[in-house]
Amino acid sequence: MARLSEHWRTSAFRLSLLYGGVFVIAVLVLLGLIYWRTAGLMIRQTDDVIERELRAFQLLDSTELQERIRHEMDRDVRNINVYGLFDRAGRHVVGNLISLPRGLPEDGSLQHLRDAHVEGAGPSSQELRAAVLQLQSGELLVVGRDVAPLIEIRAIILRALGLVGSLTLLAGIVAALLLSLSPLRRIRDIKAASERVVRGDVQVRLPIAGRRDELDMLAGIVNRMLDEIERLLGEVKSVCDSIAHDLRTPLTRLRAKVYRLQQELVDTPRHHESAEQAVSEIDGLLARFQALLRISEIEDRQRREGFADISLDAIVAQTVELYEPMAEEHGVRLTYAASAHPRVHADGELLFEALNNLVDNAIKFSPPGGVVQISLGADARGPHIDVVDSGPGIPLQEREVVMQRFYRGESARAASGSGLGLSIVAAIVRLHRFELELSGTASGTRATLYCSPRALGR
Amino acid sequence: MTRVLIIEDDDATAQEIAAELGGHGIETDHVADGAEGLRRALEGGYDAVTLDRVLPGLDGIDVVAGMRARGVDTPVLMISALSDVDERVRGLRAGGDDYLTKPFASHEMSARLEVMLRRNRSQPQSRLRVADLEMDLIARSAHRGAREIELRAAEFRLLEYMMRNHGQVLTRTMIFEAVWGYHFNPTTNIIEVHVARMRKQIDASGETPLIRTVRGSGYVLG
Repeated sequence: MARLSEHWRTSAFRLSLLYGGVFVIAVLVLLGLIYWRTAGLMIRQTDDVIERELRAFQLLDSTELQERIRHEMDRDVRNINVYGLFDRAGRHVVGNLISLPRGLPEDGSLQHLRDAHVEGAGPSSQELRAAVLQLQSGELLVVGRDVAPLIEIRAIILRALGLVGSLTLLAGIVAALLLSLSPLRRIRDIKAASERVVRGDVQVRLPIAGRRDELDMLAGIVNRMLDEIERLLGEVKSVCDSIAHDLRTPLTRLRAKVYRLQQELVDTPRHHESAEQAVSEIDGLLARFQALLRISEIEDRQRREGFADISLDAIVAQTVELYEPMAEEHGVRLTYAASAHPRVHADGELLFEALNNLVDNAIKFSPPGGVVQISLGADARGPHIDVVDSGPGIPLQEREVVMQRFYRGESARAASGSGLGLSIVAAIVRLHRFELELSGTASGTRATLYCSPRALGR
Repeated sequence: MTRVLIIEDDDATAQEIAAELGGHGIETDHVADGAEGLRRALEGGYDAVTLDRVLPGLDGIDVVAGMRARGVDTPVLMISALSDVDERVRGLRAGGDDYLTKPFASHEMSARLEVMLRRNRSQPQSRLRVADLEMDLIARSAHRGAREIELRAAEFRLLEYMMRNHGQVLTRTMIFEAVWGYHFNPTTNIIEVHVARMRKQIDASGETPLIRTVRGSGYVLG
C-alpha cells in the first residue's frame, strides 16, 4: 500500500477530491434553493391566512371580537395560532399573547416576530408571522401564526446537508484512493522499465496500458525517443564494428607482408630489427581491434547458450595457475584463498576471460614486491571473487569511467595494454547481470565480482 | 609433395593461403564453390583441406559433413568470419579438425595446418621423446638426459603439447587453446611467460637449446 502522500500527488486523487468538493457545493446550493422556495411558499400561505382573519376580525365590534378570539383559540387544537387584543394603553384584554410586541407597525402589515410572550399551551416555537392592526375603537389586535413546520423543514434540510455532504466527501476520498491506485501501479511499472533502460538495456520499452490517457501518451513519446536512441546506438556500434572489421583485414595482410619482408632481411640486422618492430606494432593494433570486436560480440550475445553450472573455484584456480608465472616475472606475489566453494550459472569461458583481465590488471599495477590477493567467498549478496592489488589505486571519480572503452587512468598510461580490458570485463558482467565493484583499500584497489544475477527490479 | 585443397569463395583470401602454403613447400588447388569442393575432396589425393564456412551453393558445414559421411577423413581446417563460440562448436562437431576466424594471420593458418597434417599420422603414445628430452605420460615425469625435470601441472600439459607437435611452429593462440582449452585471445604475453619459464627448466645452461622462438610467430620444440 502506497503512502498517503504518494496518493495525494497523483492527479486522479486530486481530481477526485476536487469533484467531491464541487459536488458537495452543488448539493448545498440545490438544498438551499429548495429551502428558500419552500419557506417562501409556506410564509405566503401563512400570511394569507393571517390577512384573511384580520379582515374578518375587523368587521366585528369589541365584544364580538373577544368572543371570536376565545372561540378561535378553543378551536386551535394544533396550537399554532396566536391572538392578542390590547386596549389603547397597551394592556392585555384577551388572547394568548400576553404582552404587546414592541416596535411593530400597527398598520396590519405582516412581520416576522421572535420571542413573543405567549401564554399557556401556545405554539412551541417562538417564531411567528404576525400582524398588528389598530382597530377603529383604538384597540390593538395582534394575529400571529406559528411557522413551526418551516423550522422542521429547515432542520431536515440541514441534517440532509450534513449527511449528504459528509457521505459525498467520504465517497470522494475512497474513490480518489481507488482511482489513484491504478496510476500509481502504472507509474511503478514505468519506473521499473526506465531503470532497466538506465542500466543499458535500451531494448526495453515503457508499458502502455492501451487507455490512450496522459500516461499512455507520455510513455508513447518516451518509447519513440527510445526507438530513436536505440537506432542511433546501433548505428554508432555498427559503424565502430565495421571500422574495426574493415581495418582488420588489410592490417592482417600488411602484417603478412611486413613479416615476409622481415624474414628476407635476416642478413641486414638493422632492417630486420625495424621490420620486427613494425610487426609488433601491427600486432598491438590488431589486438586492440580484436578486443573491440570482442566487446561487441559479447554485447551482442543475448542468448545464454554457453551458460552452465560451473564451479567458481575451478575458474579461479585456473586463472591463478595461468597468471602465476607472470606475477613471478613482475616480482609480485599471487595468493589465493577460498572461504566458500560456490557453483554459479554462468558462461565459464567468459567468466574466465573476465577474471583474467582483472588479475592481469592487478599484476600490472602492482609494484615489484607487491601482493595480488585473490579470494573466493560468499555473503548475503551471493558468491563473489575479490582481486586486491597493491597498486596506486583508482581515484573515486575514475571508478565509473575505467570501464568505458579505451579509458586509461592517469597512472595506467605507462602500462601496456589496449585500455579495453575492463570494458571487456564490464561487457561480460552485464551479460551475466553480475556486478563489478571497485573500491579502494589501504594499499591498493579491490575489484569485487559478485556472481549472482541481479534481480531486474533493483 | 603435400597437397592442400583450398575451398574458398574469396579470391584474395585464397591467394593469401596459397602464397603462405607455397612458402612452406605445399602445393595447393583452389575451388570457389562448395559442391565442386566436396567433389574434389571426395576424389582424394589431398593431405588437408582449408574450408570456408560460408560458401555459395553448398555450405562449409555441409561440405565437411558430406566428407565425413562418405568416410573421407582428410583433416579439415575451417575458416570463417563467424567468430562466435557456437559457430566454432558447430564447425568442429560437423567434422572439422580446427577452426580459424577471419581475418587471420597467415602464419597462424600455416602453423595450424602443419600441425593438422602431422597429427593425422601420429599415434597415441604413453612415452614421448625428442632428442634427449623424454616424457612419461603415465608416470607423469620428464627427463632431459639423466636430469629429472620438475614440472607443475600447467607446464606438464604445455610440454606434452609441444613434444607431441615437435618440429612444428606453435603459435601462442594454438598453445592457449590446446593447453588451457580457451578460445579467446589472452590479454598479454602470458603464454610467452609460460614458455620462457618452462624453457628455463628444459634448457639448462650448457645443454643444446630445444625450444626455439620464431619471431612474430611462435615456438618450435626440437
